[in-house]
Amino acid sequence: MATGILNGKGRIWLIVALVALCLVPFALPRFYVYLLSIILLYGLFAMSNNFPLGFGGIYQLHHAVFYGVGAYGTALVITKSGLSPWLAFLVGPLVAAALSLVMGLICIRLSKLYFGMLQISLGSLVWAVVYRWYSFTGGDDGIHGISVPDIISSYQGAYYFTLVVTAVSLFILYRILKSPYGSTLQGIRDNPVRSAMIGVNVKRHQLLALIIAGFFAGVAGTLFVVVDNTVFPDMMFWTLSMEAVIMCLLGGWLTFLGPMLGAALIVLIRTFVSTYTVYWALVLGIIFMLVIFFLPNGVLGWIETLFKGKTKLVEAKE
Amino acid sequence: MDAIGILNQIFVGLSRTVILFIVSSGLSLILGVLRIPNVAHGSLYMIGAFMAFTFSKLFGGGDLGFWMALIGAPCAVALISLAAERGIFQYLYEREHLMLILLTFAFSLVFGDLVKIVWGGEYKSVPVPYMFQGFVPLFGGLPFPLYNVFLLVCGPIIAILLWLLVNKTKIGKIARAAAVDREMVGAVGINVSWVFAIVFVIGCLLAGLGGVLVAPTVSVTLGMDHTLIIEAFLIVIMGGLGNIWGALLGALIFGLSQSMGILIWPQFGIIFPYLAVVVVLIFRPTGLLKSTW
Amino acid sequence: MGVVNYNFIPQKLEGGTGMKKSILFVAFVAFVFGLGICSQTGHAADTIKVGIVDTYTGPATSFTQDALDGFKLAVEKINAKGGVLGKKLEYTTRDEKFKPDIGLAMAKELVLKEKVDILAGTINSGTALAVSDFAKKEKMPFFVFYSKSEKIIGEKGHKYVFNMNENTEMAGRAAAFALAKKPFVKYWIAGDDYEYGHAIADAVWNNLKKAKPGVQLLGQSWWKVGEADFTPYITQIMAAKPDFIIVATGGSGMVNFQKAAKATGLVQKIPFYQHTGNELGTLLPQGKDAPEGVWGTSNYFFYYPETPANKAFADDFRKAYNRYPKASALVGYMTAQFIAEGYKKAGKVDNEAFIKALEGMSLDSPVGPLAIRACDHQLELPTYWGVTKKDAKYDFLISGDIQVIAPKDYMPTCQEVLKNRK
Repeated sequence: MATGILNGKGRIWLIVALVALCLVPFALPRFYVYLLSIILLYGLFAMSNNFPLGFGGIYQLHHAVFYGVGAYGTALVITKSGLSPWLAFLVGPLVAAALSLVMGLICIRLSKLYFGMLQISLGSLVWAVVYRWYSFTGGDDGIHGISVPDIISSYQGAYYFTLVVTAVSLFILYRILKSPYGSTLQGIRDNPVRSAMIGVNVKRHQLLALIIAGFFAGVAGTLFVVVDNTVFPDMMFWTLSMEAVIMCLLGGWLTFLGPMLGAALIVLIRTFVSTYTVYWALVLGIIFMLVIFFLPNGVLGWIETLFKGKTKLVEAKE
Repeated sequence: MDAIGILNQIFVGLSRTVILFIVSSGLSLILGVLRIPNVAHGSLYMIGAFMAFTFSKLFGGGDLGFWMALIGAPCAVALISLAAERGIFQYLYEREHLMLILLTFAFSLVFGDLVKIVWGGEYKSVPVPYMFQGFVPLFGGLPFPLYNVFLLVCGPIIAILLWLLVNKTKIGKIARAAAVDREMVGAVGINVSWVFAIVFVIGCLLAGLGGVLVAPTVSVTLGMDHTLIIEAFLIVIMGGLGNIWGALLGALIFGLSQSMGILIWPQFGIIFPYLAVVVVLIFRPTGLLKSTW
Repeated sequence: MGVVNYNFIPQKLEGGTGMKKSILFVAFVAFVFGLGICSQTGHAADTIKVGIVDTYTGPATSFTQDALDGFKLAVEKINAKGGVLGKKLEYTTRDEKFKPDIGLAMAKELVLKEKVDILAGTINSGTALAVSDFAKKEKMPFFVFYSKSEKIIGEKGHKYVFNMNENTEMAGRAAAFALAKKPFVKYWIAGDDYEYGHAIADAVWNNLKKAKPGVQLLGQSWWKVGEADFTPYITQIMAAKPDFIIVATGGSGMVNFQKAAKATGLVQKIPFYQHTGNELGTLLPQGKDAPEGVWGTSNYFFYYPETPANKAFADDFRKAYNRYPKASALVGYMTAQFIAEGYKKAGKVDNEAFIKALEGMSLDSPVGPLAIRACDHQLELPTYWGVTKKDAKYDFLISGDIQVIAPKDYMPTCQEVLKNRK
């Protein structure tokens, strides 16, 4: 039986962490509640990116499309149709998942960098359409003042909603990874040829990974609408996708919670560095370089090796 | 629009293609031989443009300023890239691609802010040299700027020079060999590290050169890097990694689909280049021409 | 195949260190968080703090920097005279790098953490609209320096937002006012294919048709933002032979188009108009190589009118920042003054009283008295119509044949603006 974070002593600490997070609105001022909401949803965005990237070995380089489409889906349903916002919260992720299916079918025949580049091209197509379709999507202005149900419209309300949704999503992702499907996916990452030889339908497993990733990216996008009540076309631009990949790499793309840590670090550094200087990009860049040089497995990966001993980079000859 | 109009459009869109080609060929070399996805390539292009402004100002603007910039700015960019390569990159060739993407992205962030620190936020302008001011009448008497003629002449010259470098010189052959099997080349006694350094520097020099050439036609601003880098990557992938003619072909397709697309469907014209890339990759996943991978 | 692939042995989701991972994770984040809380500044009760979110990296910087510097200049003067209600006027800036989601997050940080009293910014219309919406929720006054979207005080307007520069509808009306008096009949419209470009073009054209029903539109050309090669479009336009071209470019597109117009000789063959085409921000980078004969509208020139007040302002600015002020400098300068006078008139640091005090307030500026219109909180600026021409005194071109269009002649009426609001 596989042990995991959820068993034994690990469970206690996880519960402690969750309780601490629930108490935050009582202890800290509104700004930190807002900041934590942002960290949680970006963390979910990054973790959904890491699902195919770190655990599937797929070069998911334009994940922001699904995030943005999820957000726009929710936003458009709320503002343009008379349907209940709660329904809109479902529509966003479903549209994102549908888009991942379509894009996945087109891209899946390629692998590695080519897959990533094709995904970037298709994603840029989607971005261009949203950007230009001013009458429907608001174009480069975006959509603002999106109304959400009262119980979740306050800072605390939005925070708890985000916390619950994120926690549930992460739990689901974790269970998927621990399931036989998850093990197969990681097997495919390690050695696709061998996996195919033992009868695994590699492409189908990868496609499913993409759909799952897209769905949760859409969830993250919906959370953004709840927290900030706006959407912009920038949300599906390739620079945000790069940021997501970086969150994964920075935090540790071979660990489960790594991307969440990466997201937290980037948001925190950006927020606090910008109170001191306009050159926060420079600072971020230097920090990235240091991490790459000294912590090739990301921050969490490094922390883990402190306790476990090194993972090895092994050459696999064809 | 009649046939003459379309012919004019093609001719004129080609000069933009030249810039795209020069920058993309550099990226293609670096990606094909060194396997580094150089996200900072756009930043080097931007630095080239800003350096052109500085050189031009140093030598009084005008013709002398331009020619000095044409020689000096790419060299300055080459020096910067050499420093980066020797200082940081050469230790990281073994790393995963994704880590290299992160590293070059970090460089682009650093360069972006450094440019602002050095040159400030104002638009800069590099004047078109006097000898290229004015225009020649093209088909139907419509004007074609002389500077664009200069670009159209430069493009093929650079393409041929590059091809000669990669295919006919010793260093080119070694580089291509090292791209395929680095260990073997090292085992034969060649200092692979320096080969890689040279290829990297040449690739970055091309980016700087593109920046210098484009400077007189646009306003030199921060943010030039972002628009260009995605186009360059898509062109390189379309054309085939490490393949100079592939970069040329990719640039042509990209540039022409852009201008033609806007004629066909003005509102959504910008999707045509991306569409072209998608179509190419679906039918020829490794790019149109042979890649070195 | 001779190709070497590098694979890796992955970390499995092991249980043993799960506990340690969780602790370390939470501890690490708490640590960084703690650092952040310690860096909390907030502000003392004896200052009034303005939080400015804007883009200070990228092509927009040349405009936003002037707005900030104009603002700074006024703040120094105000503080030298004793401040506002005995308190010092302070400001802090955040660079959103033209990304609306970062801009909005920074605005929230300024309000919730730095506890600023007033928000100002931003050149990005998306950010401006998002921040305006946030300001409405927080009941915090928000002054817009440079975004020209008419939605800011129109469709999305509310009592907490103040627009301190012209918007696209105003610019369009002013241009139409001037063009209606000219003999041109056959027009062509061209521009950057984004919201600002279309807004300007629509504003000019719709108002021109109303003022002069006989005008004809021969065709339109729209290129992508950042386009560098205009020659295909220019040849297309020249072939159609219009009398006049309305060129709806923005940002770096202004300079790019002017360069192309000169290189292809368009500027000598067919006259054209650009909003801010004759303004310092567009002409300064090109130096003496800018084309002559370009028509434009601008809301400020440092060299006109040649009043002592304007000269004093330009000299002060030049002494402090070593360059001539652009239109955004005037906006920043006046915004600071309105903020100071608004609080003074209100008598206390109270937002509602502050807003009431500002409505209809008129202050002296380098170009004469300027007022904030009560019904929609739009600053009433004069617009200057002119054509570019060389001047021996300067290293750059200036606007000649200046025609002043007063606010009453071109601004939309209160009724027209307010009926768009929901």
